[in-house]
Amino acid sequence: MLLNNKLNTSQIMFQVICALSLGIAANYYYFGWGIIFQIILAIITSIIVESIFLSIRKLPIKSTITDFSGILTAILLAVSIPSIAPWWIIVLGTSFAIIFGKHIYGGLGHNPFNPAMLGYAFLLISYPLQMTTWANVFLDIGQSFDLIFNAKSFNAISGATLLDDIKTKLSLGKFVNEIYTTSDSQIWINIGFLLGGIYLLIRKIIYFHIPLAFLLGLSLTSLILSLIDSDLYMPFYFHLTTGATMLGAFFIATDPVSSSTTPIGRLIYGFCIGVLVIIIRVFGGYPDGIAFAVLLMNITVPLIDYYTKPKIFGDKN
Amino acid sequence: MLDKKYTKGIVVPNNYKTISTNIIKAPLPNKIVLSLQQQYTNNQAIPCVKIGEKVLTGQIIATPQDSIGTPVHSSISGTVTAINNQVIPHKSGLKIKSITIESDGKDNWIEKSNYVDNFLNKDKLELINCIKNAAIVGLGGAGFPTHAKLENIKNCKTIIINGSECEPGIMCDDALMQNYAKEILGGIEILLHITGAKNVIIAIEDDKKKSFEILSKYNNNDVVKIKKIPTKYTSGSEKILIKHLLGTEIQSGKFPVNFGILCQNIATTKAIFDAITIKKPLISRIITVTGSSIDNPTNYEVRIGSSFSHIINLSKPNTDNYDVRMGGMMMGIDIKDTKIAICKTTNCIFVNKAKQKPIAKECIRCGQCNQSCPINLLPQQLYWYAKSENIDKAINYKLLDCIECNCCTYVCPSDIELVDYFTFAKSLYRKQTKEQKQADIARERFEYREYRLERNKLERAEMLAKKRKELKQKMINDKEQKDKILSAMNRVKTKNAVK
Repeated sequence: MLLNNKLNTSQIMFQVICALSLGIAANYYYFGWGIIFQIILAIITSIIVESIFLSIRKLPIKSTITDFSGILTAILLAVSIPSIAPWWIIVLGTSFAIIFGKHIYGGLGHNPFNPAMLGYAFLLISYPLQMTTWANVFLDIGQSFDLIFNAKSFNAISGATLLDDIKTKLSLGKFVNEIYTTSDSQIWINIGFLLGGIYLLIRKIIYFHIPLAFLLGLSLTSLILSLIDSDLYMPFYFHLTTGATMLGAFFIATDPVSSSTTPIGRLIYGFCIGVLVIIIRVFGGYPDGIAFAVLLMNITVPLIDYYTKPKIFGDKN
Repeated sequence: MLDKKYTKGIVVPNNYKTISTNIIKAPLPNKIVLSLQQQYTNNQAIPCVKIGEKVLTGQIIATPQDSIGTPVHSSISGTVTAINNQVIPHKSGLKIKSITIESDGKDNWIEKSNYVDNFLNKDKLELINCIKNAAIVGLGGAGFPTHAKLENIKNCKTIIINGSECEPGIMCDDALMQNYAKEILGGIEILLHITGAKNVIIAIEDDKKKSFEILSKYNNNDVVKIKKIPTKYTSGSEKILIKHLLGTEIQSGKFPVNFGILCQNIATTKAIFDAITIKKPLISRIITVTGSSIDNPTNYEVRIGSSFSHIINLSKPNTDNYDVRMGGMMMGIDIKDTKIAICKTTNCIFVNKAKQKPIAKECIRCGQCNQSCPINLLPQQLYWYAKSENIDKAINYKLLDCIECNCCTYVCPSDIELVDYFTFAKSLYRKQTKEQKQADIARERFEYREYRLERNKLERAEMLAKKRKELKQKMINDKEQKDKILSAMNRVKTKNAVK
């Protein structure tokens, strides 16, 4: 490996934030200003909450805030939730992620769970209605503001996600061929995150193991299901381009702190998340399964790491 | 995979200026300090000179206590002024008993012997003894006594001459190869004669084209092959070099000697040649002086025991505020006091503009350290266990196989001094095993004492019982005797009465 591009921890976090911008831009293009408000709210909340906690823990505030890890967590949560969710959703979620996902365990580097996904899971369980109402048209700055801060609801412009919609229809006994549609917005948002992920791979900020294994696990499981009965299960390319697949593969599952750290371990970790995502999407009660799949696999990380130690130079076996 | 071709190692950007390969003889130091510490043995050398005594250059001033140790030679002529504890250039900043000699400026040598070129007729043991008396140690960095290495090797198949300096900036071996090619090849002849090896490989990095050409030009021995290795950091590390050249992977805990491979540094080879042919002991070596504060990096031939400041002042640093580092930027150690003396393994002195070390942040387990580790360890996991002093777990993660090359520290985005944690954990482990051993001995002693007391008790009881029995028997016997006497007396009485 060549080392001319040595980055420090803050720069790594900052690069990840930059890489997210393509997916965010795609989201803005289709659904308007909501995502921008959510991100701003999330960043402000994370800085305030983190400052309070750092002062309680008597730790330097400025150097910790500028490592951008808290801000990255906030942005990841903001892009995961519906862009028209009321303001207190993201404030509550970010606070939960920063406090219970990170500082309770001792701050950056000590958290066993992905903080953003912990925040997401908390919100999804506590506020299922707000967390499953998504925008389906472009909203200008005023409309977005009204939705987020004044809690006005516009039924015409909001609804369930494609994943949720398909799931409901399938459960009503419809066949895949009858209901199969593609959504440009879903595809382009996923492409945005995919491109950002490829940038991170090129800069060697993330390793290929987790995204590759994740996408492989997801595709393989959905392929097997659709081979069993193509009328009841959506094809694998649908799953690849829908929901938070690419965001999960390149930005969520690759969180270095809470993921497996050995090369083989990363493959197992990523693959299992991919499999779990499909199982939760198809058989579970929630529309998308990234958060739960990641959190479930976080628990197994110490075990995976222990059994996948690489062969060292001069090892007898 | 490791099994096939070794591709690990990191490319460290070389930001140092290229150096002319001339070797400048450094002026004589006013004072030298020679430590009596011996490498790889706990017994220090014993001084055989007194304070105030005049010594000559090359004179033995201390003799070793055991067979691994080597004598200590004065590297200048002058007067012994002190024999006391002095700081040695070591991470620990330890003070070791040393001999200080003030120079008389004359550099009078002990009697030099004539040039010997018929060394191939000499006995192997005699040659090894010559090497021992010249106090030759591995000049690559570890400083292992060369004679001990040569004595221990059996069935030597291959000799590897390590001409790689994989740490950027160090150029002393490069200069040596270009200036002393004949001597180096002569040293190889001696090594071939001593070990009876069948082939020799000289390993040179692929960016040292001139050294490669010069050595190839002078080399007329078919047995000696000159091979290029990739210019990557840790390529020059013994076991990894063997992997590159021969494909053999030396198992952890074993040494190249166990595989019939002898590794020698290229500077050591030249020193062996000097020791055998002109009986010159190892009293000087070539040192690169470079770094961001040095405008003209230079290779100096320096007497062992000169102070760091003596050598640094020759190069005239362009600032007064500089940090000094001995050895490479990767594995070297920071020298805080430049008044201390250099030792035989000082191959390079870096004089860099003073810089504050960045403050370490938390480990985010990014895994870059694992990617860079030449041994394929998991520094991110080892760090956890070393930090929490969970030594058993760290050992389980092969802590003891760490070669402390500092690759992980170098790549760490959080600026964590990983290797410092590992050295610390290793010392904890050593302490723990030592204590465990002592505890085991104490327990064994206690248990033996308990056993002994119990045994004594039993023996005593047995003895008493025996005695009691004997006494009883005796009493019974006595009684029988008395009865007999009594009856005899009675018989006499009755006889007399009858009369």
